[in-house]
Amino acid sequence: MANNILSISNISKSYGSIQALKNVSFDVPAGSVFGVLGPNGSGKTTLLAILLNVLQANNGSYSWLGGLPPDEARRQIGSLLETPNFYHYMSGYDNLAISAAIKKRGANDRDRVLGKLGLLERKHSKFQTYSLGMKQRLAIAGALLGNPSVLVLDEPTNGLDPVGIAEIREMIRQLNAEGITIIMASHLLDEVEKVCTHVAILKRGDLLVSGPVDEVLSAEDEIEIKAADMQALQAAIASMPGIKIKSANGLLQITGTATPAQVNEYCSSRGITLSHLLLKKKSLESKFIELTN
Amino acid sequence: MKALLAIEWLKIKRYRTVWVLTSLFLGFILLFNILIATETLTLGGKGINILNSDYTFSGVWLNTTYWTKAFAGLIALMVIILTTNEYQYRTNRQNVIDGWQRSQFFHAKWLLVLVLGMVVTLFTFATGIIFGLLNGSSLSDAGTHIEKLFYLFILLLNYCGVALTLSFFLKRTGLAIVIFILYAYPLENILWGISLNPNYGNFGFFTPMESSAGLLMFPFPPAAKEALPKHMPSDSSYLAASLAYIAFYYLLGRWKLLKGDW
Repeated sequence: MANNILSISNISKSYGSIQALKNVSFDVPAGSVFGVLGPNGSGKTTLLAILLNVLQANNGSYSWLGGLPPDEARRQIGSLLETPNFYHYMSGYDNLAISAAIKKRGANDRDRVLGKLGLLERKHSKFQTYSLGMKQRLAIAGALLGNPSVLVLDEPTNGLDPVGIAEIREMIRQLNAEGITIIMASHLLDEVEKVCTHVAILKRGDLLVSGPVDEVLSAEDEIEIKAADMQALQAAIASMPGIKIKSANGLLQITGTATPAQVNEYCSSRGITLSHLLLKKKSLESKFIELTN
Repeated sequence: MKALLAIEWLKIKRYRTVWVLTSLFLGFILLFNILIATETLTLGGKGINILNSDYTFSGVWLNTTYWTKAFAGLIALMVIILTTNEYQYRTNRQNVIDGWQRSQFFHAKWLLVLVLGMVVTLFTFATGIIFGLLNGSSLSDAGTHIEKLFYLFILLLNYCGVALTLSFFLKRTGLAIVIFILYAYPLENILWGISLNPNYGNFGFFTPMESSAGLLMFPFPPAAKEALPKHMPSDSSYLAASLAYIAFYYLLGRWKLLKGDW
C-alpha cells in the first residue's frame, strides 16, 4: 500500500433517494495518471468532492499520502474541482495569494505558474474580466502552486480551445514525467486515453472496472484470422481454450485471453497456415460505451 | 488565529463594497452625532427637543452608542455580503480544497465579526472622547455610563451573529438580506408590541435582537424619560440573554458547517 497515494474504501453517497456512489473502492498508484471516467451523472465529481472534503460520504473511508491528516494532505495536493472558484473582485495574482496562504506554500511561485499557463500579462486584471478559458487556466495555475506531489483535476480542459486542450494534455504528460501523480476526471475519452496510465469507470455510482489502462482494455482485444481453408481453420481453432470465436466478413474474430503469437502457434501446430493475422486493440471509447450502455 | 485573520484581510482589502459600506456607516454615525450635538437636528415641538444633545461625558456614551446601534444593521449587511459571496462564488469550497479545515473557515468568519465589533466600538469610543472634550468635559468624568461601550460590542456580536447564521443557512445574498431586514425591523417590532400585553409576559424584551437593543435605549433627555415603559428588564438580564443568543448562533453555525455538504 506504500506505493498508493490514495486508497478509497467502500465510499457511498446518497442525495435523498438517489444513490450517487455505491461502495466505490480503488487505489491510485504513485506516479500514475489516473482517469476517473463516467457519463454525466455517474458520480465522478461527487467522488472527488468527497475526497477533497467538500461533500461528506454516508459510508466508507479514504486515505491520502499514506494516512496524512486530510487537511494537511490537501495542502500538498493541487486541486481543480468542477469550476474555477475565485473572488471575482480580485486579480488572478491576488487570488493565488489566498490559495498560497491557506496552503502555507507557493506565495513566491505565483509568477511561475501564471507564466506556465500564459496568464502573466493579465495577472493584475480582475478575475471577473477573464474569459472562460482564462478562468480555467487560472484554476490550473492555482493547482500547480508550490509544486504539489499530486494533482486532482476535474474536467481540466473545460472551456479551452483545441490548442489549449493540446497544451494541457502536454502539460499533464510533462508533469507526470516529473513524478507528479495526476487524478483526472473527464468524459473526453480520447483525451484520457492519450494521457492516462490507469482508469476507473463509473456508471450511476457503481464502479464498473478499475486498473491499468492496458489491463482494462487487453481482455477485450480482438484477433482477426484467415486461412485458405476457412472450414478447417474454424474446426481447429474451436478447440483452443479461453477464447470465443465469431465469423464475420470472411474472417474469424477471436476474443479472450490468447495473444496473436499463441493463436498463430496453435494453428501452425495443427497444420494450418494463416494468411491474415491482425490484433485489433479496443479503444477506450468503445470499451466505455460497451460498459456504460 | 492570526493566520486566519490575515487570510480574511486578503479577501476584503480590495473589495470596494466593504469600504463603501464602512465609509457610509462611519459617516452616518459622525453626521448624526454632529447634527444632534449642535442641535441642528431636533425632534419635537413647542420648544421641546426629545433628542438628547448632552455630549458632555455625563451623556456622551448614551448618545454615541445609541447612534452607532441605529446604523449597526449596515455592518450586519456587510457580514452577510462577505459570507454569502463565499457560497455564491464557491470560494468556501476552494478554501477547504486548498487545505483549510471546515472549522477554520467557520472561525475565520467569527474572528472577522469580533474584529468588526472591536473596530466599531473603538471608533465609537474615539468619537465619544472627542465630543466630550469639545464640549468642555474633563477626561476624569469619562467613566460615566462607559459600560455602554461594552454593551455596544455585545450588540454588534449579536447582530452580526444573526447575519452570519442566516448566511450559513440561506447562502444567497439577496435572500439573506431580505430575511434579515424583515426580521430586524417589522417582525421584532411586532413581537415587542405583542409582549406589551400582560397576557403574553415580557418575552418581547428578550427576542434575539431586542435583547441587545434593550442595553442601548434611546437617550431621552431627563424630561422625556416618562416615555419609557415602566417595568424594563435590568441590564444584567438583557446581557445574559444577549450572551446566550451569541453562544447559540456560534453552536448552530458550527453544527451547520461541520455537518453536511458544502
